[in-house]
Formats: sequence, C-alpha cells, structure tokens
Amino acid sequence: MDWLFFSEIGLAGIGTGGLYAVSGLAFVLIYKATRVVNMAIGEMMMMGAYIFIGFSVGLALPVWASIPLAVIVSGIMGGVIERAIIRPMLGENAISVFMVTIGLGSVLVGLVEIIWGADPRRLIEFVPSDPIFIGEAYLSPKVGYSFAVAAVIVGLFLVIFRTWRGGVALRATAGDQAAAYSMGINVPKVFSLVWIIAAMIAAVAGILVGSIGGVSPNMGVYGLSVLVVVIIGGLDSLLGALIAGIFVGLIETYAGAFLGGEYKMLATFSLLVFVLIVRPYGLFGTHEIERL
Amino acid sequence: MSIFKIAKQVTGALLAAGLLSGAAHAEDKKDIVLGGSIPMTGVFAFAGVGIHAGITDATKIINDNGGIEGHKLVYVPEDTAYKVDASVAAFNKITSQHDVNLYYGDSTAFSKTISPEVDRLGKMVLTGASFASELNDTKKFPNIFIPGPTYTDMIGILLNHIAKEKPGAKVGLVHSETEFGRDPVEGAKATAKELGLDMSLIISTAPGGVDVSTEVLKIRRARPDFVIFHGYVLAPIPEFISQARAMGLKTKFMGTFWSMDNSMVGKMGDVADGFMGVMPYNYYYSEQANAPMLDKIRSMRDTYQSNAYMQGFFSTMMLSEAVRNTIKAGKELNGPNIHAGLQQIKDFDTGGIIGVPVSVKGNSVPIGRVYQYDLSKKQMVPASDWIRLD
Repeated sequence: MDWLFFSEIGLAGIGTGGLYAVSGLAFVLIYKATRVVNMAIGEMMMMGAYIFIGFSVGLALPVWASIPLAVIVSGIMGGVIERAIIRPMLGENAISVFMVTIGLGSVLVGLVEIIWGADPRRLIEFVPSDPIFIGEAYLSPKVGYSFAVAAVIVGLFLVIFRTWRGGVALRATAGDQAAAYSMGINVPKVFSLVWIIAAMIAAVAGILVGSIGGVSPNMGVYGLSVLVVVIIGGLDSLLGALIAGIFVGLIETYAGAFLGGEYKMLATFSLLVFVLIVRPYGLFGTHEIERL
Repeated sequence: MSIFKIAKQVTGALLAAGLLSGAAHAEDKKDIVLGGSIPMTGVFAFAGVGIHAGITDATKIINDNGGIEGHKLVYVPEDTAYKVDASVAAFNKITSQHDVNLYYGDSTAFSKTISPEVDRLGKMVLTGASFASELNDTKKFPNIFIPGPTYTDMIGILLNHIAKEKPGAKVGLVHSETEFGRDPVEGAKATAKELGLDMSLIISTAPGGVDVSTEVLKIRRARPDFVIFHGYVLAPIPEFISQARAMGLKTKFMGTFWSMDNSMVGKMGDVADGFMGVMPYNYYYSEQANAPMLDKIRSMRDTYQSNAYMQGFFSTMMLSEAVRNTIKAGKELNGPNIHAGLQQIKDFDTGGIIGVPVSVKGNSVPIGRVYQYDLSKKQMVPASDWIRLD
C-alpha cells in the first residue's frame, strides 16, 4: 500500500467534502426553517457564480469587491424568490412546492443562458496557485482553500444557530411554527431571512465550485450530489450536512482512485441506499421528517 | 373542321404539353429538404448555435450558386435542447410536414435511436454532431454520414503524430464516464499497441465531478509524456493542466474535436499555452491559399466562427455533394442512393474547409490535423500536416 497516495486521496476527499458541506448547508437551512425541499439549490449556486462573473468580468471589478457584491445580489435574489414564488405556495401540498423549485431551477438556467449565453466559462483566477503540501502529501490549492472557507462558514453557522437571536428564532420556527408565532416571532420574516442567507451561502459555494471546475448553465447538476449529501446527513441537520459531506467526499475519491471514475457515482448512491434502509431520516435527521 | 377548331385544338394541345412539361420541370426541380434536430438551447447549445449558423450559411451559398443541380436546398431546423425525446419529436414533426432527403441529428443517442426509422423510411441520409465510432459501420448504419473522423480515428490521428514525435512514448487517456467519453477507449488502446506506444494509463472521470486532484495524482505517479482528453468541452481540462503543471509535470496535453474550439481553448487562460489536439477542419482564421469557401465565410461573418460552425457547414456541403452525385447519375433521391452518392465522393475540394481534398471512407472522412495553442497569438496553430488514416 502506497500510504502517501492513500493520504493524498484522503485530503482530496475531505476537501471535496467541504464543498459538499457548504452547499448542503444552504439546502438544510431552507428545509429546516420552511420544510421546502429546494431542488433549485444547484441552480442558485450557478446563479451566484454567474453574478460573480458579471461583476468580475462584465464590470471588471476587483475580486475583493466582486465576491461580496455577488453574495449580496444573490441574497437579494433569494429574498425575491421567497417573497414572490415560495411564500404564495405556503400551505400548499409539499409536492406542489417541490415542483415549483424544479421549475425555479429551469427559470434560473434560462436566465443565465439569456444573459451570459450557453458557453462554459472559467472564473478569473483568484485562489493562490502554489501547491499545498501537508507533510509530503499534496493537496490541490483550490480544494484546500475552498475547504478552509467552507469549514469557516459551516462552523460559523453551527455557532450562531445556538447563540444569535435570529438563529434561535429560526430554530424555534423550525421546531413549531405555531408556537413560534405565539411567542412573537415573525415567522414570515424568518422565512425570508432563511432564503436570503441560503442564497448567499449558495453563491459562495457556487463561486468556490466554479473556481475549480468552471461554470456552465449545466452546473446545477452538482445540486444532485448535494441532495445525496443532505439526505445521508439528515435533511434538517447542519452537523449532518458537514459530516455527510466529508463522508461522501471521502467515499467518492477513494472509489475513484482505487476502483475507477465509473465507480464514484455507484459508491455514492450505494451509500445513499444503505443509509436510507438503515436510517430513513438520515444519520442526524429528525425522526418526524415528512418525506415526499 | 374549321380553322378555329384546329387552332383551338392545337392551342389546347400546346397548352397541355406546356403545362405537362412545366409540371415535369417543377417535379424535376423539387426542393431538397435538410431537416435538423438542432440543440439551440440546453447543455449543447454552445455547439448548436454554431452548427445552425454553419448549415444556414452553407445552404445560402449553395442556393446562391443555383442550388444542387437546379434544386433549391431548404433547411428546416427545430430546437431540441439536446434531449433525445425532443430530437425524435422534432424528427417526426419535420418528416411529417416535409419530404425530407437529408437530416442533421444532435447526438449519438439520437442517431442510434432514429437510425432504424431512417432505414425503414429509406428516404434520407442522416448526419449530425456525433463522431461515434459505432456509427462508422455501413452494414449496421447504412444511411449515416459522419462529417469527419470518428472519435477513435481522432485519437488515432493524435497517436500517429505522437509516434512520429516521440516513438515509444507513454500516453495517458482521460475520458468522461459517458457514452461520448467511452467511445474511443478500446480502439485507442489497440492503435497505441500497433504504433508501439504505452497506453497503460486510462482514467475515467464521473460526469458532473468537480475536483480532479485524485486523477491528477494518478497522472503524477504514471508521469506520461502525453495525456489525451476525450469527452469534454472545457472543464475539467484546465484544472488538470493547472494542477499537473503545479506538480512540475512536463506532460503535453491534447484534446479531441469538441474541446478544440479556439475560443473555448482561449478560456483556459495561461494553461492553454501548448495545448494540442486534433481538428478535422481548418479554423475560421486559417490562412490557406485557394480557399474560396473560407473567404466566403469570412465575407459573410466578420467575427470568429466556432468549430461547431465548420462542422455544420462541412456536413451540409458533403450531403449536398452526395445529392448532386445522385442527381447526376439519374437515380431516384432516396436514402440508399444518396448514401451511394456519398461513397462516390473522392478527392473532393472543400474550398479550404479542409486543407486537402477529401474522400468518404465507410461512413466517415478519416482525416485531421494536429493543432497547438499559441498563447501569444491566442490561436490554435498547425502542429502537423493533414493526416489521413487509411
């Protein structure tokens, strides 16, 4: 056994898992607070990456300005989506809301094709390109730095959910909407806030993923991998998204390295089936989850 | 019989003869219809838009020059969003509304799906965006035309170039885990063996995968002299090259047709410098003596046109030539006869679309040239002469 190779693969897997975790966070936040299964999460990531292109290439703004602007604009977009599309659907059948998010994904793809065209693109290089070595083990700089950003974001949310007033309001809303109302929590405002925050996180995830693999209107398929991660972790568990993200990342990379790229998806979806059989609510999910 | 009656009968006979000959003439000069399932939207739209423009321009040029032996060529496209069911629906719609002689399909899956129906109808020849090796079988697919070399032939052209440049070289093949990506793998291994090249490094990447560091680590261990990518347009090629160079590898990287568009390679940024690959056609900007078609294209469109444009243009040109051969031979315009017309194309001058005269072999045109990206010029420039696979 080549242990150096084995450890390098492990590092790559953890890095990939970090990206899954931060993307999963955006999904879990929305589900946790609103019980909406947002199938457009991949497209929201894609939109965030394209908005970044709009600022960094279209308006030629520096990266330090383009990233926060893209995140802010994405947050506004998330708020508009919630207010204009999701809120009118509250109280409707879960399948209807689910279908609306699928439609939303198609609308976002169409918008991107109209504004930026259908060609694949690369983001401007903003991540340091010097290779990272942990001991003798190589780690791709983009994956390494992306993992660091993802870890900070996930860690931050784990903390503020327990300490920040808004985070407590969100947890209360997730726990029991009627009780949250009766305690004076503005539940619709919490819904909006969650969509805004989730869209901002999705934009960060989109920029990180786009900086590695480039962007195209087809980038939304990445959301399918994220869906696997959050189902394994538990649809309403932030910690689950983090742990499942890293777990899936490791499984994928080890399967790819030792079995071949054709086994990556097979390994991931086999894991999904296994987890669903053993723990249908995910590794860390709440038992009462109503599935579709 | 009065003179008026005779005059009336003669006039009637002349009129009838005139009408009949007119009708016969109209029948002779019936429109040639080129239907198209074109991916103007969806994941393949970057190519579909170019293909559509290429077919449109070639059709206009042909009609401006009197059509195909006097027959007007009519192009009838439908958008498919690169979905097989939509492509089939477009085919059914177009063939039910028009008497279609030629058809352009958007994918291998569509070609394989619709091929039995094309054979059953027996009216048309099918071409398209696919260079799938499997389609290059005149017995199994008797009504198909591949407008260039198959994917296996493309790799063969690259391997021929490598074998000349560095005999016994170690070559890696990185392909996407899709039907498109898997197509040339077995053929490439066989060709490499024939040419004395070592192709023991085969890497497949999962569709939609983002990070490629695991695969780059494999390349670092194998240290190949060349790596050929197949089954991609842009991503993940730049990330592969970027990481490989960061590790200090001296490997040369190559691509096949769909990753060879000049503007797409340019999007790789600095890592594009030295990127090589196979292209069956000249580029829009290629400087070549005696290239009236290239000049015509440049006069019609003053901005760069993609390799997809050249593919659409070349397909239309070759299919029209096949129809011309069929008409000249006095044969009925149907699938088998048009396909026979294709087989007759020998040493055909494409007016500079391809730099040398071309011939159809089987269902394909196994010719191509190796190009290399010059970062200072921001252009793919020739790295070899035209290579024919016989």
